Amino acid sequence: MAETLVAPVIQVKDAGIRFKRNRRSRRSFKDLFAGRGRRARPDEFWALRDVSFDVQPGEAIGVVGRNGQGKSTLLKLVAEVVYPDEGSVGVHEGVAPLIEITGGFVDDLTVRDNVYLTAGLHGMKKAEIDARFDEIIEFSEIGDFLDTPYKHLSSGMKVRIAFAVISRLEEPIILVDEVLAVGDKAFREKCYRRIEELLAGGRTLFFVSHSEKDLRRFCTRGLYLDKGALVMDAPIAEVLDRYNAEYGVKK
Amino acid sequence: MSASVQSRAQSPASSYRHSLWLLTTRDLKVRYTTSFLGYFWSILDPLVMAAIYWIVFTQIFNRGTAVEQPYIIFLLTALLPWTWFNGAVSDATRAFTKEAKLIRSTKIPRTIWVARLVLSKGIEFLISIPVIIFFALISLGTNDPAQLHWQVALVPLAIVMQAALAFGVGLIVAPLVVFFRDLERAIKLGLRFLFYASPIVYGLEGLHSPLRELVALNPLSGIFSIYRSAFFPAELNWFDVAVSAVFTVVILAVGFIVFRRTVPTVLKEI
Repeated sequence: MAETLVAPVIQVKDAGIRFKRNRRSRRSFKDLFAGRGRRARPDEFWALRDVSFDVQPGEAIGVVGRNGQGKSTLLKLVAEVVYPDEGSVGVHEGVAPLIEITGGFVDDLTVRDNVYLTAGLHGMKKAEIDARFDEIIEFSEIGDFLDTPYKHLSSGMKVRIAFAVISRLEEPIILVDEVLAVGDKAFREKCYRRIEELLAGGRTLFFVSHSEKDLRRFCTRGLYLDKGALVMDAPIAEVLDRYNAEYGVKK
Repeated sequence: MSASVQSRAQSPASSYRHSLWLLTTRDLKVRYTTSFLGYFWSILDPLVMAAIYWIVFTQIFNRGTAVEQPYIIFLLTALLPWTWFNGAVSDATRAFTKEAKLIRSTKIPRTIWVARLVLSKGIEFLISIPVIIFFALISLGTNDPAQLHWQVALVPLAIVMQAALAFGVGLIVAPLVVFFRDLERAIKLGLRFLFYASPIVYGLEGLHSPLRELVALNPLSGIFSIYRSAFFPAELNWFDVAVSAVFTVVILAVGFIVFRRTVPTVLKEI
């Protein structure tokens, strides 16, 4: 990798990914071993195509677009939990993905075990978790339920503890999908303050939201996705203006 | 609070081990905290099976030659490893579907999702070994005392071969089941067939040609013959072991290729 003055932390180049329209259709063995070409199959569509952008360390990026235009897919590509069918996605730093954050939690284990498990799976060592454990529990406000099986928590509590864990990962890149829609207003505000804290600490943020207010609050740069293509890459205010002009409700 | 923004440098191998161990202990913890009998369940299944076969073959069919005494030891030395293999492969059919949420949110190397099954079932196998010791001690008071031979030193070799074989099969099975859901049931059926095609209730040395050659082609045969040779040295046949080793290497290689080719599609499907 060429050393520029500030190397980008995320490099997306001509990335494209396609999904099957009909999830039930079966594939043949031939398909599996035929390699990844630019074959267009009738039952598939490109969720994203020819998307290219670089992200510098410390940037706060908001992803804008209507439902089903590839926002979450883009986030998953950056989180490297799916791979592009063409082009490349390079992520050069650790990522704390606030995507499906409760996914790693096991119903039958206690809150305590779950904290160690999830943080551990995201690369934290036991000593590091020990050091942050009290902080995580204090943030999530569920200190009384430490030894309760996770399944007995309310859905709000589940999201709270999950957010508390993932947001304590000392990773330079944070991805936020619309997870914060859950939880009461006070806790949401707390989460937002935590994100601002992380941003102030020099983190790179990748934020997907439908809330114009939140986007303006956190982000400086906007990516506008429409029909699987990146149609605009500009300061967030300009991106939101165009989005409102095309799809927004007239004020 | 530390505000350092730096990635924790960890070698890929050590972070692989770290994640693998976390998920394996999670599996075992879940299994042992959610059921009252806990550990006992890991040994109960092979124990009941062993009791059934022991009754059928020694009491009903009145079978048993000098070589295969005590028959319960003969059974268990292959049945316990079989329980490991069977458990790992049948769990591998659900390796991706059962953990879909977690797989969608972490980017740890995907082979871990198969490896953890082989490892956790392997640990259950190891902690079930005292059952064999228990019966061996009991047999000391009978007319056919079990005798341990130097071949017991070969058991680690059998464990390594079996782990590699189960891992290879798992790497093939796990992604393909995502595309072909029917495969899950086909695998169950195949495993039941494989049980009788492996020297578990019978011994390799008691078979006649051409059945003997056919069974020897089963990669489990050589592996089981090593376990068995600890008490029944006549069962050990290096040719069978070599056949197993070759098959294991081939299956493992095919497993890695299939897994690598299919994983990007698997991640989109789950």
